[in-house]
Amino acid sequence: MADYKEAPLATRPKTLDPAEYFNLSPEYRRSEEARAALRSQLKRQYLLQLNNPHRQELIDDPALTRWIHARGKNVYPNFRPTAKTSLIGGLFGVLPLFVLYFVFKTDRDKREAKIKAGTYERPYKVSS
Amino acid sequence: MRGVECQSGKMAALRAGLLTRALTKGKTPRISEIVLGTRAASGTTKDMLPGPYPKTPEERAAAAKKYNMTLEDYKPFPDDGQGHGDYPMLPDRSQHERDPWYQWDHPDLRRNWGEPIHYDFDMYIRNRVDTSPSPVDWRTMRNSLLGFLGFMALMFGLGEMFPSYQPVAPKQYPYNNLYLERGGDPEKQPEPVNHYEI
Repeated sequence: MADYKEAPLATRPKTLDPAEYFNLSPEYRRSEEARAALRSQLKRQYLLQLNNPHRQELIDDPALTRWIHARGKNVYPNFRPTAKTSLIGGLFGVLPLFVLYFVFKTDRDKREAKIKAGTYERPYKVSS
Repeated sequence: MRGVECQSGKMAALRAGLLTRALTKGKTPRISEIVLGTRAASGTTKDMLPGPYPKTPEERAAAAKKYNMTLEDYKPFPDDGQGHGDYPMLPDRSQHERDPWYQWDHPDLRRNWGEPIHYDFDMYIRNRVDTSPSPVDWRTMRNSLLGFLGFMALMFGLGEMFPSYQPVAPKQYPYNNLYLERGGDPEKQPEPVNHYEI
């Protein structure tokens, strides 16, 4: 398995990750401790609310509120027409209208011409 | 740290707001105005919600604190106008990869309360996209699949171009092509029908 190559939808297994064996610097440990401190603070807040016998309502998750706000209401205020966004908008919003119009129109015109000339082969039987 | 009392305070303020607005002002206020206009000072305030891209280091520090992340972990999306704002860019890892044996606060989502949510979280839940390590590496799997599909497509295409069937002929009926059964005159002599050649 030494030739295991990562891909966007296939990460490296933890046992083949070299960082797991070599990361012992104080900076790494300090940052891990900072993350653990944040995690334990959040855990404490959650457990206080969860085990409170006088709590009658649902526990709000502010991270969830932020996620919903970011995906729903924060997109348009932060949108800016740049080259990339205009290109994406044109390619997916404007171009299909014209392309599909021309494709359908030419296909139907060809079929109509064939019907008028009498050479159109009906693919399905109307009555058997 | 949001207390429990703020929730009931919010509801009371909401009811009071509805009543006063309905009684004092002539125009019936919309629900959005009431909700945003009168609420308790606790609850979700505007500075807790995502905002625009952080430009100064102070804004970055404030954003990292807002999202409960350390300053070096907090990486916002690049500011290319696509509408992400200051939301953090977390590694694209699915929930399949998280420890199944740890006591998560939400076990089905393998997530703890308050943990920053990936922008595409609903894609990475355990029913959907899976980024966990594959038994064979991805390129080998992709090449095998495309090779098989390509081979089958090639063979079906060749089969359409050069069809090969059992030879068949029109059905041959006896008794002069069933002359009497088809309503032929029994007095008349039918013309002989030969299905063979010698």
